[in-house]
Parts: sequence; C-alpha cells; structure tokens
Amino acid sequence: MPRLEILSEVQRRMLEFFPCMEADGVPWTPPAKPLSETRVAIVTTAGLHLREDKPFNRDHPGGESTYRILPSDADNADIVQSHFSIGFDRTAIYRDINITYPIDRMRELVQRGVVGSLAPNNYSFMGALRDCTVVAEQTGPEVAQRLKDDGVDLVFLTPT
Amino acid sequence: MSVLARVFEAAGLTTVAIALVREHAARVRPPRALWVPFYFGYALGKPDDPEFQHQVIAAALGMLDAPQGPVLADYPDAAGPIGMPQASEVAASTNGDADRTLDAAGEITALRGYYERWQEQRGHTAVGITGIPQRRFRGVIRFLEAYAESDDADMGERPADVSVPQFVRYCADDLKAFCYEARMAQRPGDNETDIHRWFWGETAVGALIDSITQRLNATDDPSLKAMAYGLSR
Repeated sequence: MPRLEILSEVQRRMLEFFPCMEADGVPWTPPAKPLSETRVAIVTTAGLHLREDKPFNRDHPGGESTYRILPSDADNADIVQSHFSIGFDRTAIYRDINITYPIDRMRELVQRGVVGSLAPNNYSFMGALRDCTVVAEQTGPEVAQRLKDDGVDLVFLTPT
Repeated sequence: MSVLARVFEAAGLTTVAIALVREHAARVRPPRALWVPFYFGYALGKPDDPEFQHQVIAAALGMLDAPQGPVLADYPDAAGPIGMPQASEVAASTNGDADRTLDAAGEITALRGYYERWQEQRGHTAVGITGIPQRRFRGVIRFLEAYAESDDADMGERPADVSVPQFVRYCADDLKAFCYEARMAQRPGDNETDIHRWFWGETAVGALIDSITQRLNATDDPSLKAMAYGLSR
C-alpha cells in the first residue's frame, strides 16, 4: 500500500486499527548457502488453491487458518483464489497470477541460475486474518516442518 | 504473512517477505520484509510485466545480505502507487444505477463468447470456486435470483459442508470473475476502474448480486450482514 498519509481517512483508519500480532525481538536464520545453491518455496496468504481442493471456508471453526498445497509443477490454470477479503481489486490476479504468486518468476530465476532450485511444494494460507493464533501455533509450524522435510532453505512470502 | 515469516524463521528457515502495509510489518517484525507502495492485489506491482516483477523480487532477495534484523526495507516510492485504492469504492459509487429489468441469464449467454476468448487467449481463468462449469451458469443465476427473494433457495451443487450463504459468496465470486474476464477480452483497453464501473453500474449480474446484498443487509443476522459485505465488492 502507498504510505498511509496519502490514503483516504477511511482506509487509513482501517489499516491503523487492524489487529496485528505484535512482537518484540525477532527470530533470525541467516542464509546457510549462496542463493545459487538455495532451494526456495513460495508461501502466500492469497487464499489460493488447486481447483480440485476445497475453497477456504468460514463455516468451519478455524477454517480460515488452514492451508493448501500448491505443487510447483501445477499448471497455473489449475489454481484459483477463494480469498474472503473484498478489500482488493481482483482484476490484477485475473490477468496474471504472478502478481501475488510469482511462480513463473521463480522458475525463471532457477533457469537463470540465480536460485538453486524450486521446492516441490508451495503453500497458500488465507490473509487478512484478525486472529493469527492458530496459524502461529499450529498450521504455521506444521507447514514449516513440511518445508524442512522438502529440503527448503528459503521461503519467499507474498501477500495479496 | 509476517506472522508466518516469524514462525518459519524460528523453525530454522530463512525468509524474505513482501509487505504491503508498512505499519503492520513494523509492528509484527518479520525478519526481512520489503515494503512495496502498491495497493492490495498488486503485491508484485504490475500484472503481465515480468521484468517489473523481477525487480521487486531482486529487491526482496537483496535483504539476504543483511547481517541482522529485523530488516524493513522500502521499495522506491516512485514505483507506486499501482492499482486501485479499493475496488469497493467504485462499487459503492455505482450500486443501484443498473436497470433491474435486465436479464442476467441472457447477459451470461451474451458474454460467453468473450469469456471463452479470454480463456483461449490467456490459457487460464479465475472462474472455478463453485466447481460448476460456466456453461451451466444460467442455473447459478436462477439460484441467485431465488436467493435474492428468499433464504429458502438452494442449489443441488452446493456441497453439504458449505452453508448456503457461503455458497452464495462462491457463486458471486465465480460470476464476477466470468464477467470481468469477458469484459477484459471484449474491451482490452479498459482499465480497472472502467471494468468495475461497467460491472456494478451497467450489468444485470451486478444488479442481481447487489439485490442480494440489500436483502441480507436488511436482516438482523450479523453473519448474513457480514456475507453481504463481501458480495457487492
């Protein structure tokens, strides 16, 4: 988003008062190897999933804190979005999924030798959550373990 | 997203994150975040512009050189803003203007050729949340027309674990994607604002969705009001 001072008052107040899981300190894992040898996975909070997957669903308690697997070899045409939020213009993702899930760009970086490899699986969560407790304590650590099991070194995170 | 970055980094993974709201990243403190001056929906800046997207990614990966964190780097302000402040602002300005006597089902049929052209040109579509093929969207329209009149309406394709209001939202999202993609194929020169104005101000499908919103907003049920909020945007 542009700096808050140039937004409308409604937008500015909405963002200023949005609940965040504030923290002190910061966990820190420095890169263990050069980028050209690094295995990368994308994790997005764009609410994406494969067509065959269940859309994100608020009917179930905790349903918005679940995640979906996006295999790196999935066809972009097989990925859709069921994000709850209405606060964004979807024409961009209608045109180009890379606007929020830069999978083609990562493939290109691997081809160019900039990045070592792409992990077999990427992950998608729901964004704009007002309560991240389940993600922080349960589904997030679960995906972290999956990423580590796939030999991932670097996670590239994108919002929508 | 910033919360996930912290979780992953604590688990021994290195992370870089794109952050759209600088103030939120400053509060949550992900290890490495690149703030970008683009509106929601435009995290990598420009759709269909691989070179621009690579520049954003390169800036994000550049944070890996930092010896300690948290790192909250700024992408140049001059690159933005890109996108729309909020699509809903267009919707709010045009809701209610449409001619409600228009035939939404007929409109879907009329747009089908453009929609299929879009699919052919782009090789993908955002339609598909309901799992109902677009060739049967006239049935979706009939369901929504009934739901605009009564809570009793239902559709056989609704999965048992999805409530009717949630399924209505999925239907609305699919119809919007169908119409927007058709319009982008029909008028490739239109910008985002043009497309939103057309959908909410001129189409029967937009008017139908808006009529559901108005009915749900008139109820006393907070969950239905919340669903209504998500429909007409």
